Amino acid sequence: MKPPSFEYHVPGDVDEAVGLLADLGEDAKAIAGGQSLVPMLALRLANPEHLVDLRRLDGLRGVEERGGRVRIGAGTTQAAVARSAEVARSVPLMARATPLIGHFQIRNRGTVGGSLAHADASAEYPAVVLALDAELEAVSPRGTRTIPAGDFFTGLWSTALDEDELLTAVDLPVRSGRSGFAIEEFARRGGDFAIAGAAVAVELDGSGRVARCGIGLFGLGSTPLRAPGAEAAVTGAALTDIDADELGRTAVGELDAVPADLHASADHRAHVGAVIVARAWRRAAEEAANG
Amino acid sequence: MTGAPATGAPAAAARYAGTRVPRVEDPRLLTGHGTYVDDVVRPGTLHACFVRSPLARARIVGVDAAEALALDGVHAVFTAADLNPDVREQWYTLIGKDVPDTPRPPLAEGEVRFVGDPVAMVVATDRYVAEDAAELVAVDYEPLPPVVDYAAAGESGELVHEGYPGNLAGEFPGAPFEDVEPVFAEAPVVVRRTIRQQACSQVPIETRGIVAEWSAPSGELTIWAATQSPHEVRLFCSRLLGLPEQRVRVVMRDTGGGFGQKVIPQREDMCVMLAARKVPGPLKWIEDRRENLQSAGMSRHAHADTRIALGSDGAILAAAIDYVEDVGAYPVPWPVGTSAAVGMFFPGPYRVPKAAWATSSVFSNTSGRTAYRGPWQFESLARELLLDAAARKLGLDPAEVRRRNLLRRDELPYTNPCGIPYDDITPLETFEQALEMLDYEAFRREQERARAEGRYIGVGTCTYVEPTSAAVGLHATEGATIRIEPSGKVNVYVSGGSSGNSIETTVVQLTADALGVDIADVSTVQGDTAVTPFGGGAAGSRSGSMTAGAVGETASVLRERIIAIAAHRLEADPGDIELEHGRAGVRGVPESGVTLAEIANAAYFQPETLPPGVPAGLEASGRYRPEHPLVYANATHLCTCEVDIVTGAVKLLRYIVSEDCGPMINPNVVEGQIAGGVVQGIGNALCEHLAYDAEGNPVATTFMDYLLPTAAEIPDIEYGHVETPSPGPGGYKGVGEGGAIGAPPAVANAVADALAPFGAEITSLPLTPETIVALVRGGDGTVPR
Amino acid sequence: MADVTVRMRVNGGPRSASVPPRLTLADFLRERCGLTGTHLGCEHGVCGACTVLLDGQAVRACLVLAVQADGAEITTVEGIASPDGELSPVQRAFRDHHGLQCGFCTPGFVVSVTAFLRDNPGPTDEQIRDGLSGNLCRCTGYQGILKAVRAAAGAPGGTAAPEETG
Repeated sequence: MKPPSFEYHVPGDVDEAVGLLADLGEDAKAIAGGQSLVPMLALRLANPEHLVDLRRLDGLRGVEERGGRVRIGAGTTQAAVARSAEVARSVPLMARATPLIGHFQIRNRGTVGGSLAHADASAEYPAVVLALDAELEAVSPRGTRTIPAGDFFTGLWSTALDEDELLTAVDLPVRSGRSGFAIEEFARRGGDFAIAGAAVAVELDGSGRVARCGIGLFGLGSTPLRAPGAEAAVTGAALTDIDADELGRTAVGELDAVPADLHASADHRAHVGAVIVARAWRRAAEEAANG
Repeated sequence: MTGAPATGAPAAAARYAGTRVPRVEDPRLLTGHGTYVDDVVRPGTLHACFVRSPLARARIVGVDAAEALALDGVHAVFTAADLNPDVREQWYTLIGKDVPDTPRPPLAEGEVRFVGDPVAMVVATDRYVAEDAAELVAVDYEPLPPVVDYAAAGESGELVHEGYPGNLAGEFPGAPFEDVEPVFAEAPVVVRRTIRQQACSQVPIETRGIVAEWSAPSGELTIWAATQSPHEVRLFCSRLLGLPEQRVRVVMRDTGGGFGQKVIPQREDMCVMLAARKVPGPLKWIEDRRENLQSAGMSRHAHADTRIALGSDGAILAAAIDYVEDVGAYPVPWPVGTSAAVGMFFPGPYRVPKAAWATSSVFSNTSGRTAYRGPWQFESLARELLLDAAARKLGLDPAEVRRRNLLRRDELPYTNPCGIPYDDITPLETFEQALEMLDYEAFRREQERARAEGRYIGVGTCTYVEPTSAAVGLHATEGATIRIEPSGKVNVYVSGGSSGNSIETTVVQLTADALGVDIADVSTVQGDTAVTPFGGGAAGSRSGSMTAGAVGETASVLRERIIAIAAHRLEADPGDIELEHGRAGVRGVPESGVTLAEIANAAYFQPETLPPGVPAGLEASGRYRPEHPLVYANATHLCTCEVDIVTGAVKLLRYIVSEDCGPMINPNVVEGQIAGGVVQGIGNALCEHLAYDAEGNPVATTFMDYLLPTAAEIPDIEYGHVETPSPGPGGYKGVGEGGAIGAPPAVANAVADALAPFGAEITSLPLTPETIVALVRGGDGTVPR
Repeated sequence: MADVTVRMRVNGGPRSASVPPRLTLADFLRERCGLTGTHLGCEHGVCGACTVLLDGQAVRACLVLAVQADGAEITTVEGIASPDGELSPVQRAFRDHHGLQCGFCTPGFVVSVTAFLRDNPGPTDEQIRDGLSGNLCRCTGYQGILKAVRAAAGAPGGTAAPEETG
């Protein structure tokens, strides 16, 4: 299980990096922490001719709060997110999702951008950015653009990023008002990819009705998913009128292609998914109600 | 009890045996200075990588290695035509050559028979290049329909191997079912279940590996191997290549776990041995994890039609098991003989008047069956599940049913209905101790309360008797050489080798006691066939008892000599000489004495001063041959758990093992062996599954899919000891395998007990969350939330 | 493919080498530095046997390319004990509590636990279990390891070394 050969590039800044990606085209792959890519190389499931290492792009690391948004550089490690008081205070869902990713040794290397760009359907961060309606910042030789999280995940391990485009940051709304957040997952063992998981963000209006609800699902499709029907069903409703179990069933009822593997059939994933959505909803709603 | 050897001069009072002596292996292993096979660096080493079949069954139409050979750094690509004809003799000392062994070609010849079957071996300057080249070897396959499901293999029109009709590798008729039919026909209560166990693998954290270095001028082959038995590797290699045994040397210092997988060389090892003489440098093969999970072997996969008949009072009247096991395409070793133990131990440590059994071993196009810690453990799984089912049917507590049937001490020796003569066991005592450690009655009360709150907790047990230290064939004897050096320091040589069983520490402890010296003055040399006595290796829970015997035999000769020399020098009666702290003194005369260093000095350098008839030097070799063919150990495992009936998650709450392995040489080692086995058994019960899809593709070839338990899933394990000496040296018994035997049924019974309100019956493993949810649903038909 | 020159400090000493970009840090340490205490148990980042400290942080050396570690400070298991061989507190605790058997996974546990206890002094039992869950052991059933970590942490449930002999 040794990686195949490739040419190695270490650009010094983002412009150089995207220039390389543009020149090298589909034969190139960007590597940040490498916690998803290196195993794929070792198993020879990925065979890039060129690897563009982002380790010198210091500007991509860090957490910054500004104008009601928190911007996390794509190169920020998951461990740094876990340590960030700003993230814990302003984007609690992101903070709560982080310890669920792999193990601490993985989080020491794995990055926010790597996790999002890898777009694993069973990973936590993609579901978080969906639930929060985050915006993803991407740079290419043509300039910088912002991609709404809802448009980012396009298919199995694929994203809206162009070949020459680099994810540089994720921009998240700071929690406000009476809001609550929860992430729940069910995995065979701690640290494993989830059989089913849900990230829920809920905000109440002054009268205690749901002003906004975001539900991100993971492990339940070929991509990270939103649960728009379930979100719509609770929006505008009073908390006391919402049946969490019903909400869970609604969320999984919207799914069309639940995956099946050694660890769980599609039926079991959907069953557990409904339970997990309900559990996440209860916790998020409780926090919002007490907020 | 002390560690007194069974024969020879009496030992000194045990000073180290029975205590938690820190391990002598640890300083090197904790600091990264162990020597595992992949750490062996020889000049000019070449690296092997296998080209493996991507298909479960196919005809090999052609192999084109031209592109691979053209790659820079590639030395050779071997196929079956290059290596297989060189095989002289291929059989294992462990099994003997007079069995109807199953086929075992080094490389696949003509047909591939499972995904991972080695077809060609690439040799290159490093493993990276070897993997590149392996991808370039073009094998032309003509797919054939595979036999994936062993359970249906008898009716399949396809054959895994020509010459084995019905894909039957072998069968053991055992004891006839007709003899018990009248009992079953008339018994007040009969429970009959088909019990199934999934395929699991041993999964040592170090994969397999071997380095072979041929010296043409001297005609010598040196092998470094990840093995549990260096002497078996040497014998096997000597026969395989037709080399005289003394020209083959096998070395292992550290092996990173084996659990049966490394007990004998497998096909890839054969390829490296065969190719070693054809390449210009030492040849190294280090298996990677994907290879390990797809090709290093499968175990456990089996099912059986099992029955138990009871009286209305709960007394067992008869038991019967018709066992069918999957042996894959290339079992290693011949599996049929081992399967008999499933039948013969099925009655377990219970009073069972009549029993019937039969076993059959069936080929499939999957990875071959290999030895795994307690290879016969299906008997305990089946029996203990049946007993719980019987208790539910009788309306009795499962503990009460066991109490009424477990063998009592006053009934021993007891020959079970399959002819196994149990003795020196304490099943009822371990059972009661385990229940007491839990406070079983209190748990039942807590369970009632929990159920009222909608929480589902349960308790399960397993009580078994286990054959250890079987003294036949390769394992019939064990040797030790002890050299008291001229300085009075001691080296002890046994076959051994560190593979996780702490045998270096054990040997040093026993030798220090036997010679009355400080433990710091004893070192051990192990794992090198060039310098150690022949030994059978770490298998069959034999190392403790057999090595104790070997050290005892040898040390008694030296003690006698030391005492004779000391008595002569001190002008005392030999019967008054005491050995302690590296010194020989005269009983009752504290001021007189002579140090072992002085005695050694005389023995080596002043032979003229020795008493008449005492040979010079202080070096001896001895060989232990047990008088008893088997040593029986027994234990009760008890597990409690809570089941989340909504998600199917199982949380283990407490895990108690009460065992009787006789006196403990080192409680740390005993408890470590138990814990390791238990956690493997928990993994087997809950999460491990070496699964295949319908086409015969393995689907658990990474650690993302083959799920080993982690520290987060495992409860603290509590130990209770009952101590009944065996007839062997020191009264010791084997303890290496039992943990893995008791855990699967204890866990399964605990889960079944938790789910009893749903009418759940557990008859197959693993207990995944999904199967548990299905059990809950199946029980009362409602869908849990 | 062109080799790349890397420079790092390994266990306090400078190391430089020209390496193929695909060489993993684990293989670099084992083959180029002769530090064979870093073990390979899975090569896909699950078992943790290859764990080393990279700039003080515990990482899987099989999931880092040697070129990615250019300029880094690496500590392997060989760098945990003092140069005269005196075991570190974590290593001593593993020895005192039977925290290892075959020893193959041990370097990864020692390195991981060293970093874990530095960053989590006085951990709860749940934190200890979570902190250990990224390393697989097949011999010990984790019992001795848990005791060792509790003892090294001075946490409740960690007992002093069991009785010595003599």
